[in-house]
Amino acid sequence: MEIYSSIIGLLQGGLGNLAAYLAAHVLLCLVPAFYIAGAMTALIPKESVTRFLGRNAPKYVSYSAAALAGSVLAVCSCTIVPLFAGIYKKGAGLGPAITFLFFAPAANILALVYTGSVIGPDLAFARLFLSLAFGIGIGLIMALIFRRSDIAHDKATDAMFSAQSQRGMSRASLAFLLILVALLLAGTLKVGLLINSYGQVTLPIPGMERFQEFLYQLVPYDPAKGEEGVTAQGAILIGLLVLIGFSSWKGMEHIHEGFNRWTWIALGLVCLTLLTASLGMQPHAGGLDIRFTGKFFGVFLALWLLAWLLFKKLTEDQRRDFLWESWRFVKQIFPLLVVGVFTVGVIRMLIRPEWIEALAGENTLLGNLAGVIFGVFMYFPTLVEVPIAKMFLSLGMHRGPLLAYLMADPELSLQSILITATIIGRLKAWVYVFWVALFSTLAGLIYGSWVDGTSIGIVALYLIAFLAVLSLTLYLVNKRSSQKATFHSTASTD
Amino acid sequence: MLTIKILGSGCANCKRLEQIASKVVSDLAVEAEVIKVTDYNDIMSYNILSTPGLVIDEKVVSSGRVPSPAEVTTWIANALVAH
Repeated sequence: MEIYSSIIGLLQGGLGNLAAYLAAHVLLCLVPAFYIAGAMTALIPKESVTRFLGRNAPKYVSYSAAALAGSVLAVCSCTIVPLFAGIYKKGAGLGPAITFLFFAPAANILALVYTGSVIGPDLAFARLFLSLAFGIGIGLIMALIFRRSDIAHDKATDAMFSAQSQRGMSRASLAFLLILVALLLAGTLKVGLLINSYGQVTLPIPGMERFQEFLYQLVPYDPAKGEEGVTAQGAILIGLLVLIGFSSWKGMEHIHEGFNRWTWIALGLVCLTLLTASLGMQPHAGGLDIRFTGKFFGVFLALWLLAWLLFKKLTEDQRRDFLWESWRFVKQIFPLLVVGVFTVGVIRMLIRPEWIEALAGENTLLGNLAGVIFGVFMYFPTLVEVPIAKMFLSLGMHRGPLLAYLMADPELSLQSILITATIIGRLKAWVYVFWVALFSTLAGLIYGSWVDGTSIGIVALYLIAFLAVLSLTLYLVNKRSSQKATFHSTASTD
Repeated sequence: MLTIKILGSGCANCKRLEQIASKVVSDLAVEAEVIKVTDYNDIMSYNILSTPGLVIDEKVVSSGRVPSPAEVTTWIANALVAH
């Protein structure tokens, strides 16, 4: 009997976590984010970035272009692997290729938006900036360590990169992408203008309050433990999500054969869901209060502009590619995310906060190392690292080790190690893993000390001192090796 | 006889492209061999930066996106004329 009730408890934990996530975090942040990712893949011509990745591009250009490519072009492995291999073998070389590989999982739009809305914008920004600095750092180090083999290998052509036409983005595509970003911001930013309400109606639906009570009983929660309950609005939204899933399956799966009725239904449902999510709802005994927030008007305006651009300004090919790519991301990532969030909810019931607090409750070297090691040896599907990090946070993990974990986990998934190994060889791959582990630990320590109240000036000083030591070492090694190289070449001419 | 190659390691888009190409080939009733290329070194030898890639008679006609059946039909028709 005891086992039975504890299993029920675990399942309830999992379902509760899932319901709370779907209702609270998915809609206004993840839905636009999936569409932004789709639009980036479909509408940004890859040549506009990749032509800076040729072998003859100056270093500062190729490294920044590699980072940019990582954040805007590489939302899925279809792009990451060929682009990584291309930059390494035929383009700018090992350094920028590594920068690209490191930066892509940390800075793509889905990861950033999800981290920001679930854990907090501060951590999302820390993840972005530290990944950028360290991605370029690791790229430079790798290029230096393996400079001989990098020069020796495949001098052949970078014609593939430099011969690319300078096709830019059309103005309509750019506007479309920007308004998608505006939609995301309108839905998620917490500023007065968007949160204030500008009108209210009361729908006389009896029993709404009892419905809410019922939901709280179904999914019990404890605010003290960082858990969230499901509101009536949340329940409506989850229902709409299921409908979207069903109609998209019918409408988007065969979009290459043309739009059908289900495509329109799916698009209409997405708009309806986003609008519902942006309303304020308050159930009480007399019915349901609906507040028209600034958010609602922002989302409405953005959706209206998007629809106009999509159907009047974009070509049919662009429209189809955009919808297909967005749907493909949803299909690829969402099911894994649902399973992941459920599992996290179950595991959450089994871990004692004392364990986490003892190991990584403070911003220590050991705590950060623990975060990194967990990240290296555990492999989670895309984005699942975020709810896991949230679980650790609510169990008392310090934000420093948490960042160390978030930096190490996606960077060093089993998949990325294997890819790196097949393309650049096992030795280089493991050297890369070592550097990522080191830099992630460091990132956690630095960020953690900032959270603990060290002033931003001192943190910046640490960072600059570290980067200065690093670049000095690189410079000295470089100088010595070039001296050696000249010595060798004079020796050989003698 | 045409040789049509689908370049890609097996991601969702590569499978979709393969379906579309096979369907166009059978709809047009052309004699063609559809080959899947999954080895990265082979894929890289075609100078593409993102998969899936579509190669007709050793010429890359598209990469990085899933083309519509209409586009694939045009390319195959062009290749037939070139024959």
